[in-house]
Amino acid sequence: MPGGSPTNRRGDGYEFVELRGYVPGDDVRRIDWAASARSGELQTRIVLEDVGLTLAAVLDDSPSMSVGRTRPLLDAAREALTLWYEVAEPEDRCVRVIGNTLHPTGALRGAASAAAALGAKGNFDLQESLETARSALRAGAALLAIGDWFDLRGDADGLLYALARRYDCTMLLARDPWFDGLTLSGIVRIRGAEGGVLRAYVGRNERERYARAVRRREAELCQRFTLAGWRTGMLEESSGFASLAATFGVRLARAG
Amino acid sequence: MTLAHPLRFAFALLVAAALALLYTVLTRRRTAHDLAYSSITFWTAAAQPGRWIPRLLDAGWMLALLLLALALGGVHLTAPMPVHDGAVFICIDTSGSMATTDVSPTRAAAALNAARAFIEESAPGTRIGLITFSGGASMIQPLSSDHEQVEAALAQVPPPNGATAIGDALRLAATALPETGHRLIVLVTDGVNNTGVDPLEVAEWLGTQHVPVYTIGIGTPNGGFIPGSEDEATIDEGALREYAQVSGGAYARAEDATELHDALARLGRITSFAKQRVDATAGFTIAGIVLLVTTFLTGMGLGKL
Repeated sequence: MPGGSPTNRRGDGYEFVELRGYVPGDDVRRIDWAASARSGELQTRIVLEDVGLTLAAVLDDSPSMSVGRTRPLLDAAREALTLWYEVAEPEDRCVRVIGNTLHPTGALRGAASAAAALGAKGNFDLQESLETARSALRAGAALLAIGDWFDLRGDADGLLYALARRYDCTMLLARDPWFDGLTLSGIVRIRGAEGGVLRAYVGRNERERYARAVRRREAELCQRFTLAGWRTGMLEESSGFASLAATFGVRLARAG
Repeated sequence: MTLAHPLRFAFALLVAAALALLYTVLTRRRTAHDLAYSSITFWTAAAQPGRWIPRLLDAGWMLALLLLALALGGVHLTAPMPVHDGAVFICIDTSGSMATTDVSPTRAAAALNAARAFIEESAPGTRIGLITFSGGASMIQPLSSDHEQVEAALAQVPPPNGATAIGDALRLAATALPETGHRLIVLVTDGVNNTGVDPLEVAEWLGTQHVPVYTIGIGTPNGGFIPGSEDEATIDEGALREYAQVSGGAYARAEDATELHDALARLGRITSFAKQRVDATAGFTIAGIVLLVTTFLTGMGLGKL
């Protein structure tokens, strides 16, 4: 599913696809000097590597993902990640970007093992993980990033764009558990998943303002990622499987 | 503010502190009004909730408990209270100039009406006496808390005639006033002291005895001629103001009957109150209970409990 279908035909290891102008970052070994001489500009040979696809994932497993209306958002995220790795072929490489390292998950492939590899660590660093993905993953990899993106910096658009240029990027935004309206009213206590307690009065106006702000945030986040070249989707608390599938335009028959 | 039973107050504060601690512990429990959320920062910015409402309720609880604790401690306040044992002498000028008609119908009649207003506005229980003066001073009504009787005595005020012995009137009032308690003298005159003892000396002595003299000058700026004579009725405002100042009272000028009526009626209300130490236990208890119930019901209504 992610990144299309890589070839595995036997041959010299690469299948030529096309020539295109050189862009910084291209492997210099792929420069077609003859074509460059003919055109007067550096030309890069675009090939399909005769190797498996790299399926990478960045998952926000910080405490902020432990909240939810009926169950933690992290549970849905586990399901999405499980499905992500389930579609891998035997020769594909599955990795998870955690902090500044890539963690191969080939041995853990499978729903149960992938889920077991997850857990709220509490020290998730979104910026670091995305930077690691940019520098450590092989070009052409399929990258799935799941989170609530509260930590996404305002100046991260350049990084998002760079990732999308290099990889097939998909973003799942954890949908706010109270997206369709706060169920509380009166004096309530808000407990922050990452600390802090707030006591406040919630009335009709507060509920309306909250609903508007949540919708606006989701729209703005999706627009940022889309403009950067990412595929975007919503991670519904009810089913991570269905959420990921829907992002790729697939309707799953299985229940979440 | 003072406390009759400081130990009881301290005990009540301890109980209140224990209750506040219990309340804090209870409200820390997770309830149906709890919401776990990813980011408090975003939630606050999104909902922009009224954070002052729970704080106001907390303040209500604390204030109610404090009021009840003070009530238990037997709180006493120093507050202006109606004086029921106050003593007031009204000294009415009956000199010849009081027949002048620049104040309608005459200065004397206006003074009587104003004195009546003073008596009616005075708090029940205030003892009032009447002194008239012209060439000399005479008491037509000793101090009495029977205001109807005092008002009836106004009929004995003689018609205007003779000189103006302000000092004699003040001295007579000073000797007739009780030695203690809330006391004052109201001097209603239109003229210049021209016989008897020096009013300024008497006023100064009254000031040392904490008996203020409130002076009221009757007459228009242009004055008028005394009926049946060539003499012009004048007023020594500077002297009247000085009598008031040295004794701790105040001076007011009344140019017409209404002003005079209002000035004396106002004085009647002023003399009705004095600062006293009063037992405020009942008031604090009621206020504390009302606030406690109001806060509780408001909290229930807002889903706090």
